[in-house]
Amino acid sequence: MARLRLQILIAVVLLGSCGVANSFGREDDVFLDRVVPIFQARCLECHRAGLSKGDFSLEDADSFFEGDYIERGDSANSHFVELISSQDSHRAEMPKNGSPLTDDQIKVIRSWIDSGASWPDGFKLNYDAKVARPLDYDWWSFREVVKPVVPVLIDSPNRDWIRNPIDAFVLEMLERKNLAPSKEANRRTLIRRLSYDLTGLPPTIAEVEAYEEDKSEDAYERVVERLLASPRYGERWARHWLDVVKYADTCGYDKDKLRPNAWPYRDYVIRSFNDDKPYRQFVQEQIAGDVLFPGTEDGILGLGFIAAGPWDFIGHVEVPESKLDGRVARNLDRDDMVSNTFNSFCSLTVQCARCHDHKFDPITQDHYYRLQAIFAAVDRADRVYAVDPKVEVERTVLRNKISKSEKSLAKLNDQLDRAGGQALVKLRERIAAVKNETKKPEFGYHSKVESRQDTLKWVEIEFDQPQSTKQIVLHAAHDEFNNIGAGFGFPLRFRVEVNGSTVFNRENADFPNPGLTPIVIPVAEPLTSVRLVATKLAQRSSDYHLALAEIELLNSRGENVAATGKVTALDSIEAPVRWGKSNLVDGIWYESSGETRKELQVKLDAMVLSLIGPSGVEQKSSFKNQIAESRKALSQLPAGKAVYAAATDFKSQGNFKATQGQPRPVYFLPRGEVASPGPRLEPGIIPLSAGRTIGVELKSGESESVARSKLALWLTDKGNPLLWRSVVNRIWHYHFGRGIVDTPNDFGRMGGERSHPELLDWLAATFRDGSESVSAESFKDLHRLIVTSSVYRQSSSYSGNGMTADSGNRYLWRMNRRRLSAEEIRDSILHASGLLNLEMGGAGYFLFQLEKTEHSPHYEYHKFDHTDPKSYRRSIYRFIVRSQPDPFMTTLDCADSSQSTPARNETQTPLQSLTMLNSDFSLEMSKRFARRIELESADQSERIQKVVQESLGRSPTELELSTMGEFVQQHGLANLIRIVFNLSEFVFID
Amino acid sequence: MTIDLLRRKFLFDSAWGFGSLALLDLLNSESRSIPSQEGRQKVTSGILHHPPKAKRVVQLFMAGAASHIDLFDYKPALEKHHGEPSDFGEKVEAFQNGLGPWMKSPFQFRPYGASGKMLSDAVADLGSCVDEMAFIHNMTGKTGVHSQATYLQATGFQRPGFPGVGSWVSYALGSENENLPAFVVLPDHRGFASNGPKNWGSAFLPTSSQGTTIFPQRERPIRDLFPKGELVTPNSHAQGLELLDKLNRDFAMTREGDERLESRLRTYELAAKMQLSAPEALDLSSEPKHIMKMYGLDRAGAEYPEAINVPEEIEYFGRKCLIARRLLERGVRYVQIWSGNDNSFPRRNWDSHEDLKREHGPLARGMARGAAALIQDLKQRGLLDDTIVLWTTEFGRMPSTQGSTGRDHNPHVFTNWLCGGGIRGGISHGESDQWGFKPLDRDNPTQVYDIHATLLHLLGLNHLKLTVRHNGIDRRLTDVHGHVIREII
Repeated sequence: MARLRLQILIAVVLLGSCGVANSFGREDDVFLDRVVPIFQARCLECHRAGLSKGDFSLEDADSFFEGDYIERGDSANSHFVELISSQDSHRAEMPKNGSPLTDDQIKVIRSWIDSGASWPDGFKLNYDAKVARPLDYDWWSFREVVKPVVPVLIDSPNRDWIRNPIDAFVLEMLERKNLAPSKEANRRTLIRRLSYDLTGLPPTIAEVEAYEEDKSEDAYERVVERLLASPRYGERWARHWLDVVKYADTCGYDKDKLRPNAWPYRDYVIRSFNDDKPYRQFVQEQIAGDVLFPGTEDGILGLGFIAAGPWDFIGHVEVPESKLDGRVARNLDRDDMVSNTFNSFCSLTVQCARCHDHKFDPITQDHYYRLQAIFAAVDRADRVYAVDPKVEVERTVLRNKISKSEKSLAKLNDQLDRAGGQALVKLRERIAAVKNETKKPEFGYHSKVESRQDTLKWVEIEFDQPQSTKQIVLHAAHDEFNNIGAGFGFPLRFRVEVNGSTVFNRENADFPNPGLTPIVIPVAEPLTSVRLVATKLAQRSSDYHLALAEIELLNSRGENVAATGKVTALDSIEAPVRWGKSNLVDGIWYESSGETRKELQVKLDAMVLSLIGPSGVEQKSSFKNQIAESRKALSQLPAGKAVYAAATDFKSQGNFKATQGQPRPVYFLPRGEVASPGPRLEPGIIPLSAGRTIGVELKSGESESVARSKLALWLTDKGNPLLWRSVVNRIWHYHFGRGIVDTPNDFGRMGGERSHPELLDWLAATFRDGSESVSAESFKDLHRLIVTSSVYRQSSSYSGNGMTADSGNRYLWRMNRRRLSAEEIRDSILHASGLLNLEMGGAGYFLFQLEKTEHSPHYEYHKFDHTDPKSYRRSIYRFIVRSQPDPFMTTLDCADSSQSTPARNETQTPLQSLTMLNSDFSLEMSKRFARRIELESADQSERIQKVVQESLGRSPTELELSTMGEFVQQHGLANLIRIVFNLSEFVFID
Repeated sequence: MTIDLLRRKFLFDSAWGFGSLALLDLLNSESRSIPSQEGRQKVTSGILHHPPKAKRVVQLFMAGAASHIDLFDYKPALEKHHGEPSDFGEKVEAFQNGLGPWMKSPFQFRPYGASGKMLSDAVADLGSCVDEMAFIHNMTGKTGVHSQATYLQATGFQRPGFPGVGSWVSYALGSENENLPAFVVLPDHRGFASNGPKNWGSAFLPTSSQGTTIFPQRERPIRDLFPKGELVTPNSHAQGLELLDKLNRDFAMTREGDERLESRLRTYELAAKMQLSAPEALDLSSEPKHIMKMYGLDRAGAEYPEAINVPEEIEYFGRKCLIARRLLERGVRYVQIWSGNDNSFPRRNWDSHEDLKREHGPLARGMARGAAALIQDLKQRGLLDDTIVLWTTEFGRMPSTQGSTGRDHNPHVFTNWLCGGGIRGGISHGESDQWGFKPLDRDNPTQVYDIHATLLHLLGLNHLKLTVRHNGIDRRLTDVHGHVIREII
């Protein structure tokens, strides 16, 4: 206000000199004191010169009164008032972003207009972001979680309905809305509901019947215990979590490469649920398990969370960070990590602050980029997680042994080589040539084609450091193009230069094509460059070019050092996989030889014996044996287990290089533009209230792992209200089909309303702190509490006044009927068919034929053979392709792994019907199911009985038996089963 | 999605089940009935904001990035300075290393039509249509990375997780024919472009609005339309559906009030109707000879060499165009045709880093022949008036040389064109600079948001009002951008 007053003062001074100061009357005071603050705080952000939305500015009188928004003296006829007021129960159109004006504020504006809308001459409003947008923490989700008192409903006619505190909260709300709970569902319904809900699978008919007949008091509770103890429970509930975190087995984007090591994270989630891992540990492992739980497998596996989302291969591997596109890709990559963390654990849409301060919630761009800075050192890559310390000691011992033996062997080999000279080298080369006999797709280097044969071409290998090299070996290429084959592209005339001077000259006469025979050129001095210059090119068809499979640079030990150099060329066609400069030094070329390997080996053995004698040969083989044994022992150590996870240290791939823990600089990006960065920002954690931070604070200059671990600790602090509310709401959502807040990823001002605010807080506090019947942070205890409530056990029938008073069942006067999820449908079909394989864990199975993996893998679903028994495992174990998702599952509203899916859609479409009727999977299962039943029973009506029992968990009615019987008579059992899979009763649970 | 799911789901289900008007009606009455506190979460969709000029769209998408300066955007300066070292007057970050000398197009340009529009010989077939077409030569993108750029042009966002433009349109307008999907995609027969089906996924919109892929050359062009094998006969199928209907009706009757169960009955009726309609739409046998010829489909049974070649490209692209016309005629709302697959080897897309003439030649001639036939055919049937044809790609290509015959990525400027459905013909809007390197007026380029805003506008939709709340944001096809390009309508 001080600032405002100052402006007015200035205005007064300026106006005063013009003699109009006396126009500041009472109405002006109303305007300045009461109307202006509203305009400044709520309107000017959008409606001012330059960016005036809808061409309407409130900065000065001229623009304000210009468009016919205001009828001076008549607020009822002013369109402006219409815009800021709610109409027929619809929210007001303005302000577009954020909460509507309060009734008082509207009243102030109306009365100002009614009394003439006076606006002091020349007075201009100034926009000030701080006035317009103070960070407003006054919102339910930011408030502390305080456990509410459970309502006492002694006078309620339904008081006996209350089984636990959940019922009390729900009943209290129902009665407030003049609603009554529904009666309990029948036993078959209950056990189907429970089984699907807790394990994602139907009960067997035996389980249904046993429960229906169990008259003991705790029959229901025992079913619940059995299901919670089942490993199927973790498989079902892990799927929910994987929906939220965008888990998939490929990277997405262009090429959509496979992630062969993503699955250990999926198994980790399943195991965590089955083990009922305390929630805080579960969260901490996923953000900073490497730091907070060092030496544990789960500490690494959990980091699969950070890496779960999509990743742009081209943006990281092909484009360097020095280019804008590379920085954009890395910015978006961190954005995914930040939003995955905050959407999943806090239900906070921090990503809205990437381009501007969050429009609705108290998150600034500064906050946002400080969060990005926490993730600035991690990438998504394979990370080893076998970390048993004893094993590590053993590994070191073995590695030392190997290196000792290798040194001794090298010494002996040196002696041998010196004695053997070129003859030995040649013989070895011939043996190597035989090894190379299978043709690999990496052909070599290939220049541009030219129309003139005498066009000069060159290709070169350069080194930063001089390389002591004894021999250059040229290998000609092999390509069937134009039936050329061996010697493809080998120049007719050429020279070889070492360090700029010619060491091998064949420019004066045509050189006979060497075919596959290597050309060996001795070298005297250490080299920093080798260049082959072609002066007369080989003919290709009607044109000319230079091609070469390989240049080997052999040192005194016969090792090829070429690969450490950089290949440059005058030009190159760069057509991977076959042709590319890098193929010149990849150790791959094609050779063929007349003599067999065996014959050559005999020659070699004889030569070696003559050179170093029997004792030398014996020593040599003993060293070799030692090395082999140690290597074998090493390979048998439980190593090489990798998980695709957040990593700071991994093998480089093109421009994708590990940070080694050194954070990339993160800048404040105005408008989110990577091209125009603001100041560099340190890591930081968002405040949850003005002037109060919980638990931990980040200090400047802390290492990336410390920063990440502090974020994990902050997230899981008991004082972080978002974490606890978010997670219990998700659990509630999955049990009832709708959360207490129906936007499980967004608890901000744009999120949904709470249907039962007190219940939400009671659940959050109980889950956080525990109670008599619930251990703190135990999912299983929370499930038990929910599913044993009377609310959960209600019938899903529509009855009473609920239909009219609360048709959407927001207040839970009945249970929600739901369609099964894609996974449940697929698993149920496998289950009913008797084919479901309950093997747990491991790499995902394919539901497609995989083709062309070398570049952009093709996932050919239409070519998959559904008789493949590997695909009969539960759906959670299928290999999930991000950009080409399984069509069967997608049609059934499976989660899209390109985005966080906190709630599945539930649609009914004709394509779904076609898929359920006609997919190869449905047909194969119908046949297999029928075949099994036909073997088990000879009687037709018994067969039908079995089909109905095993797929619907009940016996058929007489009428059904006869109708189905007629159909089976005509079309066989498999056709009936195909129809049964399509029954509403099969895909819906009451 | 934060809409009142349980109550509204059944409406989505039939985004291509109900006629669009019926759907609009339902959505309207539904949103009116939402009480105020939930009203602030309602989906604003399905409302025609103004009278439409167009009813349907066919989009031609060139995967790999088609070169503007070799097809539609004539640059005499490149002819003049061909072979001279390129000088952009600023530091340029090439995607690979394509900053060699200026390179003129390997194709000749000639004027066409009353407008005298210059086209390259590679797209000469479109010459007869230029007076119907509006070219936009100052398109600019945000990235030279294929995946991101493809997402941007296909969904309006640079990253995965957003609905395709066709999904938005079919979500908003539904289908005109309940027996066919509202949004059909005809991918390149050799495979998907960058990002695959995510380019036409429904993301946070209902599944029913996602693109349905049709592969005309496959044994089963539409997945699961019919059962494979011996098990199901037409008779067992028909009687099976009867049995299913009866049993599902019984089930629904004992669960009164649950509209989903009613709606499910209807989906099976529609599925059966689709089994009749879809094969008919894809069956070209009734097309007269002259039409087949027009689309370049008069070489039935021809065999093609392994190397990329013109006749093969004409045949494949032409077939997709003809099928597109048949689908549009039958009420499909949005058809998307793709030319070019991923970056595998040998190259079969527009990403001509090595040899522009080698791929652009056949691909462009195939595209131009099919596109021209489609435009003329729509016109002669009176369909062009309310059908928008949109030609687009990821980005453009550099005026400088890569290697000796290729061109690198140019995200700074490229060309789109539109025609029909209320588009002014015979005009070129916006210009690129003399090289075709950046927009001439760098401060006022055209972006994909503007194209999408214009598209929606012609369809009777205000891009600012077509929103869906998702994870805390009211999402629009045009994000926070987009202006209707008044100059071309």
